[in-house]
Amino acid sequence: MDATLLTQYALAGLVIGAIYCLMAVGITFIYSVMRMINWAMGEFYMIGGYAQYLLITDWLGPERWYVALPLAIAGVGVLGMVVQRVLLRPMFAGGIERLDEYATIVTISLTVLFRNLAVVIFGPYQFSPRDYAPPVQLGPLPVNGSRFVAFLGAVALLGLFAWVVRRTWFGLAIRSVAQNRVGALSAGINLSRIDMLAFGIGVALAGAAGALLAPVFLVYPQSGALSTVKGFEIIVIGGLGSLTGSIVGGLLLGLVESLGSVLISPAFRDVYGFGLLVLILALRPTGLWGERAREA
Amino acid sequence: MLWVDDVVAGYHEGIDVLRGVTVRIEARRVTAVIGPNGAGKSTLLRVVFGLLVPRRGRVVFDGRDVQDLPPDTRKRLGIGYVPQGMSTFPHMTVEETLRVGGWTIRHDRLRLRDRIARVYDLFPSLAQLRRVRAGVLSGGQLRMLSIAKELVVMPSLLLVDEPTAGLAPRIADDVYRLLQRARELGIAVILVDQNITEAVALADHVWVVSMGRVQRAGPRESVAADLRSLVQEALIGTGG
Repeated sequence: MDATLLTQYALAGLVIGAIYCLMAVGITFIYSVMRMINWAMGEFYMIGGYAQYLLITDWLGPERWYVALPLAIAGVGVLGMVVQRVLLRPMFAGGIERLDEYATIVTISLTVLFRNLAVVIFGPYQFSPRDYAPPVQLGPLPVNGSRFVAFLGAVALLGLFAWVVRRTWFGLAIRSVAQNRVGALSAGINLSRIDMLAFGIGVALAGAAGALLAPVFLVYPQSGALSTVKGFEIIVIGGLGSLTGSIVGGLLLGLVESLGSVLISPAFRDVYGFGLLVLILALRPTGLWGERAREA
Repeated sequence: MLWVDDVVAGYHEGIDVLRGVTVRIEARRVTAVIGPNGAGKSTLLRVVFGLLVPRRGRVVFDGRDVQDLPPDTRKRLGIGYVPQGMSTFPHMTVEETLRVGGWTIRHDRLRLRDRIARVYDLFPSLAQLRRVRAGVLSGGQLRMLSIAKELVVMPSLLLVDEPTAGLAPRIADDVYRLLQRARELGIAVILVDQNITEAVALADHVWVVSMGRVQRAGPRESVAADLRSLVQEALIGTGG
Protein backbone atom coordinates (compact mmCIF):
# COMPACT_ATOMS: atom_id res chain seq x y z
CA MET A 1 0.00 0.00 0.00
CA ASP A 2 1.13 3.47 -0.89
CA ALA A 3 2.36 5.32 2.18
CA THR A 4 1.00 8.66 0.98
CA LEU A 5 -2.45 7.20 0.54
CA LEU A 6 -2.30 5.57 3.93
CA THR A 7 -1.26 8.83 5.59
CA GLN A 8 -4.05 10.57 3.78
CA TYR A 9 -6.61 8.15 5.13
CA ALA A 10 -5.15 8.34 8.60
CA LEU A 11 -5.38 12.09 8.44
CA ALA A 12 -8.96 11.90 7.21
CA GLY A 13 -9.67 9.59 10.14
CA LEU A 14 -8.22 12.05 12.64
CA VAL A 15 -10.23 14.88 11.06
CA ILE A 16 -13.49 13.01 11.49
CA GLY A 17 -12.31 11.72 14.88
CA ALA A 18 -11.99 15.28 16.16
CA ILE A 19 -15.62 15.85 15.28
CA TYR A 20 -16.63 12.62 17.03
CA CYS A 21 -14.78 13.98 20.06
CA LEU A 22 -17.17 16.92 20.21
CA MET A 23 -20.15 14.56 20.43
CA ALA A 24 -18.53 12.31 22.99
CA VAL A 25 -17.25 15.14 25.17
CA GLY A 26 -20.76 16.63 25.14
CA ILE A 27 -22.31 13.36 26.29
CA THR A 28 -19.65 12.81 28.96
CA PHE A 29 -19.93 16.36 30.20
CA ILE A 30 -23.69 16.19 30.70
CA TYR A 31 -23.36 12.77 32.31
CA SER A 32 -20.64 13.98 34.69
CA VAL A 33 -22.58 16.98 35.91
CA MET A 34 -26.16 15.74 35.92
CA ARG A 35 -25.61 11.97 36.12
CA MET A 36 -27.96 11.46 33.20
CA ILE A 37 -27.53 10.28 29.65
CA ASN A 38 -28.87 12.56 26.99
CA TRP A 39 -30.18 10.25 24.28
CA ALA A 40 -31.24 13.21 22.16
CA MET A 41 -27.64 14.27 21.54
CA GLY A 42 -27.84 13.36 17.84
CA GLU A 43 -30.93 15.51 17.43
CA PHE A 44 -29.06 18.53 18.72
CA TYR A 45 -26.40 17.64 16.16
CA MET A 46 -29.12 17.55 13.51
CA ILE A 47 -30.54 20.91 14.65
CA GLY A 48 -27.04 22.42 14.51
CA GLY A 49 -26.84 21.26 10.88
CA TYR A 50 -30.20 22.79 9.95
CA ALA A 51 -29.38 26.03 11.77
CA GLN A 52 -26.11 26.34 9.89
CA TYR A 53 -27.80 25.51 6.58
CA LEU A 54 -30.53 28.12 7.07
CA LEU A 55 -28.08 30.76 8.23
CA ILE A 56 -25.74 30.42 5.28
CA THR A 57 -28.23 29.77 2.51
CA ASP A 58 -31.09 32.08 3.50
CA TRP A 59 -29.80 34.78 5.82
CA LEU A 60 -26.11 35.46 5.85
CA GLY A 61 -24.92 34.07 2.57
CA PRO A 62 -22.46 31.21 2.03
CA GLU A 63 -19.38 33.41 2.20
CA ARG A 64 -20.18 34.33 5.81
CA TRP A 65 -20.23 30.77 7.12
CA TYR A 66 -17.77 31.77 9.86
CA VAL A 67 -20.38 34.18 11.27
CA ALA A 68 -23.05 31.53 10.97
CA LEU A 69 -21.08 28.90 12.91
CA PRO A 70 -21.01 30.63 16.31
CA LEU A 71 -24.65 31.67 15.86
CA ALA A 72 -25.75 28.11 15.10
CA ILE A 73 -23.75 26.77 18.05
CA ALA A 74 -25.13 29.39 20.44
CA GLY A 75 -28.65 28.76 19.15
CA VAL A 76 -28.41 25.05 19.93
CA GLY A 77 -26.98 25.92 23.36
CA VAL A 78 -29.91 28.20 24.15
CA LEU A 79 -32.38 25.56 22.97
CA GLY A 80 -30.63 23.07 25.26
CA MET A 81 -30.94 25.41 28.23
CA VAL A 82 -34.65 25.85 27.57
CA VAL A 83 -35.10 22.07 27.34
CA GLN A 84 -33.19 21.62 30.60
CA ARG A 85 -35.13 24.36 32.36
CA VAL A 86 -38.57 23.16 31.27
CA LEU A 87 -38.25 19.38 30.95
CA LEU A 88 -35.28 18.22 32.98
CA ARG A 89 -35.12 20.50 36.00
CA PRO A 90 -38.22 18.92 37.55
CA MET A 91 -36.20 15.73 38.02
CA PHE A 92 -34.04 17.47 40.63
CA ALA A 93 -36.89 19.29 42.33
CA GLY A 94 -37.83 16.27 44.40
CA GLY A 95 -40.84 14.04 44.00
CA ILE A 96 -39.31 12.00 41.18
CA GLU A 97 -37.69 8.90 42.53
CA ARG A 98 -35.94 7.35 39.55
CA LEU A 99 -33.94 10.15 38.04
CA ASP A 100 -32.20 8.21 35.31
CA GLU A 101 -35.40 6.62 34.08
CA TYR A 102 -37.07 10.00 33.97
CA ALA A 103 -34.16 11.48 32.02
CA THR A 104 -34.12 8.51 29.63
CA ILE A 105 -37.81 8.79 28.85
CA VAL A 106 -37.67 12.56 28.41
CA THR A 107 -34.63 12.56 26.13
CA ILE A 108 -35.80 9.60 24.01
CA SER A 109 -39.14 11.37 23.56
CA LEU A 110 -37.21 14.42 22.48
CA THR A 111 -35.48 12.47 19.71
CA VAL A 112 -38.88 11.49 18.31
CA LEU A 113 -40.21 15.01 18.68
CA PHE A 114 -37.24 16.77 17.07
CA ARG A 115 -36.96 14.34 14.16
CA ASN A 116 -40.62 14.68 13.34
CA LEU A 117 -40.56 18.42 13.76
CA ALA A 118 -37.75 18.50 11.24
CA VAL A 119 -39.85 16.48 8.80
CA VAL A 120 -42.84 18.78 9.34
CA ILE A 121 -40.85 21.99 8.96
CA PHE A 122 -38.29 21.10 6.29
CA GLY A 123 -39.72 17.98 4.72
CA PRO A 124 -37.90 14.66 4.37
CA TYR A 125 -35.33 16.19 2.02
CA GLN A 126 -31.58 16.20 2.25
CA PHE A 127 -29.90 19.59 2.20
CA SER A 128 -26.30 20.33 1.47
CA PRO A 129 -24.78 23.75 2.15
CA ARG A 130 -21.94 24.88 -0.04
CA ASP A 131 -18.37 24.01 0.92
CA TYR A 132 -16.77 26.31 3.49
CA ALA A 133 -13.44 26.47 1.76
CA PRO A 134 -11.66 25.16 -1.36
CA PRO A 135 -9.45 22.08 -0.96
CA VAL A 136 -6.35 22.63 1.14
CA GLN A 137 -2.93 21.16 0.55
CA LEU A 138 -1.47 19.73 3.79
CA GLY A 139 2.09 18.89 2.81
CA PRO A 140 1.67 16.26 0.09
CA LEU A 141 -1.98 15.65 0.98
CA PRO A 142 -5.01 17.37 -0.49
CA VAL A 143 -7.76 17.79 2.12
CA ASN A 144 -11.37 18.71 1.51
CA GLY A 145 -11.75 22.35 2.60
CA SER A 146 -14.92 21.86 4.62
CA ARG A 147 -13.39 18.93 6.47
CA PHE A 148 -10.34 20.99 7.23
CA VAL A 149 -12.47 23.83 8.60
CA ALA A 150 -14.50 21.30 10.61
CA PHE A 151 -11.30 19.84 12.05
CA LEU A 152 -9.88 23.23 13.03
CA GLY A 153 -13.24 24.25 14.47
CA ALA A 154 -13.48 21.07 16.53
CA VAL A 155 -9.94 21.43 17.87
CA ALA A 156 -10.54 25.10 18.74
CA LEU A 157 -13.80 24.32 20.51
CA LEU A 158 -12.28 21.42 22.46
CA GLY A 159 -9.41 23.68 23.48
CA LEU A 160 -11.80 26.40 24.59
CA PHE A 161 -13.85 23.84 26.48
CA ALA A 162 -10.79 22.46 28.28
CA TRP A 163 -9.68 25.98 29.18
CA VAL A 164 -13.09 26.87 30.62
CA VAL A 165 -13.30 23.66 32.66
CA ARG A 166 -9.75 23.80 34.00
CA ARG A 167 -9.02 27.50 34.36
CA THR A 168 -12.15 29.50 35.08
CA TRP A 169 -14.39 29.96 38.14
CA PHE A 170 -17.27 28.58 36.14
CA GLY A 171 -15.20 25.49 35.37
CA LEU A 172 -14.32 25.09 39.04
CA ALA A 173 -18.02 25.21 39.91
CA ILE A 174 -18.79 22.66 37.18
CA ARG A 175 -16.10 20.29 38.47
CA SER A 176 -17.32 20.66 42.04
CA VAL A 177 -20.89 19.82 41.03
CA ALA A 178 -19.66 16.83 39.04
CA GLN A 179 -17.64 15.48 41.95
CA ASN A 180 -19.97 16.16 44.87
CA ARG A 181 -23.32 17.89 44.48
CA VAL A 182 -23.90 18.36 48.20
CA GLY A 183 -20.39 19.73 48.63
CA ALA A 184 -21.03 22.24 45.83
CA LEU A 185 -24.37 23.19 47.35
CA SER A 186 -22.87 23.82 50.76
CA ALA A 187 -20.34 26.15 49.11
CA GLY A 188 -23.24 28.27 47.89
CA ILE A 189 -23.19 27.19 44.25
CA ASN A 190 -26.56 27.38 42.54
CA LEU A 191 -26.95 23.81 41.29
CA SER A 192 -29.90 24.38 39.02
CA ARG A 193 -28.09 27.19 37.21
CA ILE A 194 -24.97 25.06 36.76
CA ASP A 195 -27.08 22.13 35.50
CA MET A 196 -28.80 24.36 32.99
CA LEU A 197 -25.57 25.86 31.69
CA ALA A 198 -23.84 22.47 31.58
CA PHE A 199 -26.66 20.96 29.58
CA GLY A 200 -26.61 23.93 27.23
CA ILE A 201 -22.85 23.64 26.72
CA GLY A 202 -23.02 19.86 26.28
CA VAL A 203 -25.64 20.00 23.54
CA ALA A 204 -23.94 23.04 21.97
CA LEU A 205 -20.92 20.78 21.38
CA ALA A 206 -23.19 18.39 19.48
CA GLY A 207 -24.70 21.35 17.64
CA ALA A 208 -21.20 22.47 16.76
CA ALA A 209 -20.40 19.07 15.29
CA GLY A 210 -23.59 19.23 13.23
CA ALA A 211 -22.94 22.77 12.03
CA LEU A 212 -19.28 22.10 11.20
CA LEU A 213 -20.12 18.96 9.26
CA ALA A 214 -23.16 20.37 7.46
CA PRO A 215 -21.37 20.67 4.10
CA VAL A 216 -19.57 17.33 4.51
CA PHE A 217 -22.47 15.07 5.41
CA LEU A 218 -25.98 16.02 4.39
CA VAL A 219 -28.54 17.73 6.59
CA TYR A 220 -31.76 15.72 7.01
CA PRO A 221 -34.14 14.73 9.82
CA GLN A 222 -32.35 11.47 10.72
CA SER A 223 -28.85 12.83 10.31
CA GLY A 224 -28.23 12.71 14.05
CA ALA A 225 -29.10 9.05 14.56
CA LEU A 226 -25.72 7.65 13.60
CA SER A 227 -23.82 10.35 15.45
CA THR A 228 -25.56 9.44 18.72
CA VAL A 229 -24.53 5.84 18.25
CA LYS A 230 -20.95 6.89 17.50
CA GLY A 231 -20.97 9.15 20.53
CA PHE A 232 -21.91 6.25 22.77
CA GLU A 233 -19.40 3.95 21.12
CA ILE A 234 -16.71 6.44 22.02
CA ILE A 235 -17.97 6.81 25.58
CA VAL A 236 -17.76 3.07 26.11
CA ILE A 237 -14.34 2.84 24.46
CA GLY A 238 -12.98 5.77 26.46
CA GLY A 239 -14.78 4.99 29.69
CA LEU A 240 -17.94 6.66 30.95
CA GLY A 241 -17.28 9.89 32.80
CA SER A 242 -13.77 10.54 31.51
CA LEU A 243 -13.15 13.55 29.27
CA THR A 244 -9.69 12.29 28.31
CA GLY A 245 -11.26 8.96 27.40
CA SER A 246 -13.79 10.73 25.18
CA ILE A 247 -11.07 12.53 23.27
CA VAL A 248 -8.80 9.52 22.84
CA GLY A 249 -11.82 7.34 21.99
CA GLY A 250 -13.06 9.81 19.39
CA LEU A 251 -9.72 10.01 17.60
CA LEU A 252 -9.30 6.25 17.80
CA LEU A 253 -12.73 5.61 16.32
CA GLY A 254 -12.08 8.04 13.46
CA LEU A 255 -8.75 6.35 12.72
CA VAL A 256 -10.12 2.82 12.86
CA GLU A 257 -13.04 3.65 10.59
CA SER A 258 -10.87 5.38 8.06
CA LEU A 259 -8.06 2.82 8.00
CA GLY A 260 -10.55 -0.07 8.02
CA SER A 261 -12.23 1.45 4.98
CA VAL A 262 -9.01 1.60 3.00
CA LEU A 263 -7.36 -1.60 4.23
CA ILE A 264 -10.41 -3.85 4.24
CA SER A 265 -13.48 -2.40 2.58
CA PRO A 266 -15.39 0.88 2.86
CA ALA A 267 -18.66 -1.07 2.88
CA PHE A 268 -18.21 -2.02 6.53
CA ARG A 269 -17.11 1.41 7.72
CA ASP A 270 -19.50 1.47 10.70
CA VAL A 271 -18.61 -2.09 11.68
CA TYR A 272 -14.95 -1.35 12.47
CA GLY A 273 -15.89 0.91 15.34
CA PHE A 274 -18.01 -1.82 16.89
CA GLY A 275 -15.16 -4.27 16.42
CA LEU A 276 -12.92 -1.90 18.35
CA LEU A 277 -15.62 -1.55 20.97
CA VAL A 278 -15.91 -5.30 21.46
CA LEU A 279 -12.14 -5.66 21.61
CA ILE A 280 -11.76 -2.97 24.25
CA LEU A 281 -14.63 -4.29 26.31
CA ALA A 282 -13.02 -7.73 26.28
CA LEU A 283 -9.64 -6.35 27.39
CA ARG A 284 -10.76 -3.50 29.66
CA PRO A 285 -14.43 -3.70 30.61
CA THR A 286 -14.40 -0.22 32.16
CA GLY A 287 -13.14 1.36 28.95
CA LEU A 288 -9.72 2.92 28.51
CA TRP A 289 -10.17 5.58 31.21
CA GLY A 290 -13.25 4.19 32.94
CA GLU A 291 -13.72 5.24 36.59
CA ARG A 292 -10.01 5.64 37.09
CA ALA A 293 -10.17 9.31 36.24
CA ARG A 294 -13.43 11.16 36.47
CA GLU A 295 -12.28 14.72 36.08
CA ALA A 296 -15.31 16.80 35.46
CA MET B 1 -29.83 35.46 65.36
CA LEU B 2 -31.67 32.33 64.30
CA TRP B 3 -35.25 31.65 65.16
CA VAL B 4 -37.01 28.51 64.02
CA ASP B 5 -40.71 28.93 64.64
CA ASP B 6 -43.13 26.02 64.75
CA VAL B 7 -41.53 24.23 61.82
CA VAL B 8 -43.16 21.13 60.37
CA ALA B 9 -41.16 19.33 57.68
CA GLY B 10 -40.64 15.92 56.10
CA TYR B 11 -39.43 14.18 52.98
CA HIS B 12 -42.54 12.25 52.03
CA GLU B 13 -46.14 13.30 51.79
CA GLY B 14 -47.96 12.71 55.06
CA ILE B 15 -44.85 11.81 57.07
CA ASP B 16 -43.61 14.64 59.23
CA VAL B 17 -40.08 14.31 60.55
CA LEU B 18 -40.19 17.63 62.38
CA ARG B 19 -43.49 18.16 64.12
CA GLY B 20 -43.55 21.71 65.29
CA VAL B 21 -40.02 22.69 66.27
CA THR B 22 -39.43 26.07 67.87
CA VAL B 23 -35.90 27.04 68.86
CA ARG B 24 -33.82 30.15 69.07
CA ILE B 25 -30.08 30.58 69.15
CA GLU B 26 -27.84 33.48 70.01
CA ALA B 27 -24.79 34.67 68.13
CA ARG B 28 -21.38 33.27 69.17
CA ARG B 29 -22.76 30.23 70.95
CA VAL B 30 -22.32 26.54 70.37
CA THR B 31 -25.55 24.60 70.55
CA ALA B 32 -25.43 20.82 70.74
CA VAL B 33 -28.42 18.96 69.35
CA ILE B 34 -28.74 15.52 70.85
CA GLY B 35 -31.33 12.83 70.48
CA PRO B 36 -31.89 9.30 69.19
CA ASN B 37 -31.53 8.26 65.57
CA GLY B 38 -34.42 9.42 63.45
CA ALA B 39 -35.35 12.18 65.89
CA GLY B 40 -35.02 14.83 63.21
CA LYS B 41 -31.66 16.40 64.16
CA SER B 42 -30.18 16.35 60.67
CA THR B 43 -33.52 17.31 59.18
CA LEU B 44 -33.53 20.41 61.36
CA LEU B 45 -30.15 21.44 59.93
CA ARG B 46 -31.38 20.77 56.41
CA VAL B 47 -34.38 23.03 57.00
CA VAL B 48 -32.16 25.81 58.35
CA PHE B 49 -29.83 25.61 55.33
CA GLY B 50 -32.72 25.37 52.87
CA LEU B 51 -32.22 21.85 51.53
CA LEU B 52 -35.71 21.04 52.74
CA VAL B 53 -38.60 23.49 52.56
CA PRO B 54 -40.81 23.29 55.64
CA ARG B 55 -44.49 22.54 55.18
CA ARG B 56 -45.33 25.01 57.90
CA GLY B 57 -43.53 27.50 60.10
CA ARG B 58 -40.85 30.13 59.71
CA VAL B 59 -37.08 30.26 59.75
CA VAL B 60 -35.83 33.72 60.66
CA PHE B 61 -32.15 34.55 60.32
CA ASP B 62 -30.82 37.94 61.40
CA GLY B 63 -34.33 39.35 61.43
CA ARG B 64 -35.17 38.11 57.95
CA ASP B 65 -37.59 35.38 56.87
CA VAL B 66 -35.47 32.86 54.98
CA GLN B 67 -37.69 29.76 54.77
CA ASP B 68 -38.37 30.35 51.08
CA LEU B 69 -34.81 31.23 50.07
CA PRO B 70 -32.62 28.67 48.27
CA PRO B 71 -29.41 27.39 49.93
CA ASP B 72 -27.06 29.54 47.85
CA THR B 73 -28.84 32.69 49.00
CA ARG B 74 -28.71 31.59 52.63
CA LYS B 75 -25.02 30.93 52.22
CA ARG B 76 -24.56 34.53 51.10
CA LEU B 77 -26.48 35.72 54.16
CA GLY B 78 -23.97 33.97 56.41
CA ILE B 79 -25.19 30.43 57.03
CA GLY B 80 -22.63 27.68 56.51
CA TYR B 81 -23.38 23.96 56.38
CA VAL B 82 -21.07 21.00 56.83
CA PRO B 83 -23.17 18.03 55.74
CA GLN B 84 -22.88 14.52 57.10
CA GLY B 85 -20.29 12.46 55.24
CA MET B 86 -18.00 14.08 52.73
CA SER B 87 -18.52 17.49 51.21
CA THR B 88 -15.12 17.60 49.51
CA PHE B 89 -14.15 16.81 45.92
CA PRO B 90 -11.95 13.77 45.29
CA HIS B 91 -10.15 15.14 42.23
CA MET B 92 -9.55 18.64 43.56
CA THR B 93 -6.55 19.80 45.49
CA VAL B 94 -6.93 21.25 48.97
CA GLU B 95 -6.35 24.72 47.53
CA GLU B 96 -9.03 24.25 44.86
CA THR B 97 -11.46 22.96 47.47
CA LEU B 98 -10.97 26.09 49.55
CA ARG B 99 -11.50 28.22 46.46
CA VAL B 100 -14.82 26.46 45.91
CA GLY B 101 -15.58 27.25 49.55
CA GLY B 102 -14.98 30.90 48.70
CA TRP B 103 -17.38 30.77 45.73
CA THR B 104 -19.70 33.48 47.09
CA ILE B 105 -16.84 35.97 47.53
CA ARG B 106 -14.97 35.03 44.33
CA HIS B 107 -15.32 38.48 42.77
CA ASP B 108 -13.33 40.04 45.60
CA ARG B 109 -9.94 38.51 44.83
CA LEU B 110 -7.97 40.14 47.62
CA ARG B 111 -10.51 39.23 50.24
CA LEU B 112 -10.62 35.65 48.99
CA ARG B 113 -6.84 35.34 49.09
CA ASP B 114 -6.75 36.81 52.57
CA ARG B 115 -9.49 34.47 53.81
CA ILE B 116 -7.81 31.38 52.40
CA ALA B 117 -4.55 32.46 54.06
CA ARG B 118 -6.39 32.77 57.37
CA VAL B 119 -7.91 29.35 56.98
CA TYR B 120 -4.40 27.95 56.49
CA ASP B 121 -3.39 29.70 59.72
CA LEU B 122 -6.25 27.94 61.45
CA PHE B 123 -5.39 24.61 59.85
CA PRO B 124 -1.60 24.47 59.57
CA SER B 125 -1.79 20.81 58.59
CA LEU B 126 -3.85 21.70 55.50
CA ALA B 127 -1.35 24.36 54.48
CA GLN B 128 1.22 21.64 53.88
CA LEU B 129 -1.24 19.72 51.73
CA ARG B 130 -2.44 22.52 49.52
CA ARG B 131 -1.34 20.87 46.28
CA VAL B 132 -2.56 17.43 47.31
CA ARG B 133 -5.75 15.97 45.90
CA ALA B 134 -8.55 15.41 48.38
CA GLY B 135 -8.96 11.84 47.14
CA VAL B 136 -5.76 10.74 48.89
CA LEU B 137 -6.41 12.44 52.25
CA SER B 138 -7.37 10.50 55.37
CA GLY B 139 -10.88 10.57 56.82
CA GLY B 140 -9.85 13.01 59.54
CA GLN B 141 -8.11 15.33 57.08
CA LEU B 142 -11.18 15.31 54.85
CA ARG B 143 -13.40 16.22 57.77
CA MET B 144 -11.07 19.10 58.60
CA LEU B 145 -11.11 20.17 54.96
CA SER B 146 -14.93 20.04 54.92
CA ILE B 147 -15.04 22.43 57.86
CA ALA B 148 -12.21 24.59 56.53
CA LYS B 149 -14.06 24.94 53.23
CA GLU B 150 -17.04 26.47 55.03
CA LEU B 151 -14.87 28.79 57.12
CA VAL B 152 -13.41 30.53 54.05
CA VAL B 153 -16.39 32.89 53.87
CA MET B 154 -16.58 33.27 57.68
CA PRO B 155 -20.26 32.49 58.19
CA SER B 156 -22.01 33.89 61.25
CA LEU B 157 -23.81 30.57 61.76
CA LEU B 158 -22.28 27.18 61.04
CA LEU B 159 -24.40 24.03 60.92
CA VAL B 160 -22.32 20.92 61.51
CA ASP B 161 -23.80 17.46 61.01
CA GLU B 162 -22.01 14.53 62.67
CA PRO B 163 -18.47 15.85 62.19
CA THR B 164 -16.81 13.09 64.17
CA ALA B 165 -18.69 10.04 62.90
CA GLY B 166 -16.20 7.31 62.10
CA LEU B 167 -13.17 9.21 63.37
CA ALA B 168 -10.62 7.97 65.88
CA PRO B 169 -11.15 9.66 69.29
CA ARG B 170 -7.90 11.61 69.05
CA ILE B 171 -8.87 13.05 65.68
CA ALA B 172 -12.40 13.73 66.91
CA ASP B 173 -10.82 15.86 69.65
CA ASP B 174 -9.12 17.95 66.98
CA VAL B 175 -12.48 18.53 65.34
CA TYR B 176 -14.01 19.66 68.64
CA ARG B 177 -11.08 21.98 69.29
CA LEU B 178 -11.66 23.46 65.89
CA LEU B 179 -15.33 24.10 66.55
CA GLN B 180 -14.34 25.78 69.79
CA ARG B 181 -11.98 27.94 67.80
CA ALA B 182 -14.84 28.81 65.42
CA ARG B 183 -16.82 30.10 68.39
CA GLU B 184 -13.88 32.23 69.46
CA LEU B 185 -13.90 33.70 65.96
CA GLY B 186 -17.48 34.81 66.55
CA ILE B 187 -19.28 32.01 64.72
CA ALA B 188 -22.41 30.46 66.19
CA VAL B 189 -22.36 26.69 65.78
CA ILE B 190 -25.20 24.20 65.77
CA LEU B 191 -23.65 20.80 66.27
CA VAL B 192 -25.45 17.53 65.70
CA ASP B 193 -23.40 14.74 67.20
CA GLN B 194 -23.68 11.17 68.42
CA ASN B 195 -20.88 11.67 70.92
CA ILE B 196 -23.21 13.21 73.46
CA THR B 197 -20.69 13.70 76.26
CA GLU B 198 -18.16 15.50 74.08
CA ALA B 199 -20.77 17.57 72.28
CA VAL B 200 -22.36 18.70 75.52
CA ALA B 201 -18.96 19.48 77.04
CA LEU B 202 -18.28 21.84 74.16
CA ALA B 203 -21.72 23.43 74.03
CA ASP B 204 -23.16 26.55 75.62
CA HIS B 205 -26.67 25.33 74.97
CA VAL B 206 -28.17 21.92 74.54
CA TRP B 207 -31.34 20.85 72.75
CA VAL B 208 -32.73 17.41 73.30
CA VAL B 209 -34.70 16.34 70.25
CA SER B 210 -36.85 13.29 69.93
CA MET B 211 -39.87 12.28 67.87
CA GLY B 212 -39.60 15.43 65.79
CA ARG B 213 -39.88 17.81 68.72
CA VAL B 214 -37.49 19.67 70.98
CA GLN B 215 -38.12 18.03 74.32
CA ARG B 216 -35.74 20.15 76.32
CA ALA B 217 -33.61 23.18 75.64
CA GLY B 218 -31.41 25.14 77.93
CA PRO B 219 -27.95 26.20 78.95
CA ARG B 220 -25.46 23.39 79.35
CA GLU B 221 -25.36 23.67 83.16
CA SER B 222 -29.07 23.02 83.47
CA VAL B 223 -28.88 20.02 81.20
CA ALA B 224 -25.51 18.65 82.26
CA ALA B 225 -26.83 17.78 85.72
CA ASP B 226 -29.02 15.04 84.36
CA LEU B 227 -26.87 14.20 81.37
CA ARG B 228 -26.91 10.56 82.35
CA SER B 229 -30.62 10.20 82.01
CA LEU B 230 -30.50 12.27 78.83
CA VAL B 231 -28.00 9.90 77.32
CA GLN B 232 -30.26 7.05 78.23
CA GLU B 233 -33.23 8.79 76.71
CA ALA B 234 -31.27 9.62 73.62
CA LEU B 235 -30.09 6.08 73.13
CA ILE B 236 -33.37 4.34 73.64
CA GLY B 237 -35.55 7.17 72.43
CA THR B 238 -37.99 7.46 75.28
CA GLY B 239 -37.58 11.18 75.60
CA GLY B 240 -40.66 13.22 76.55
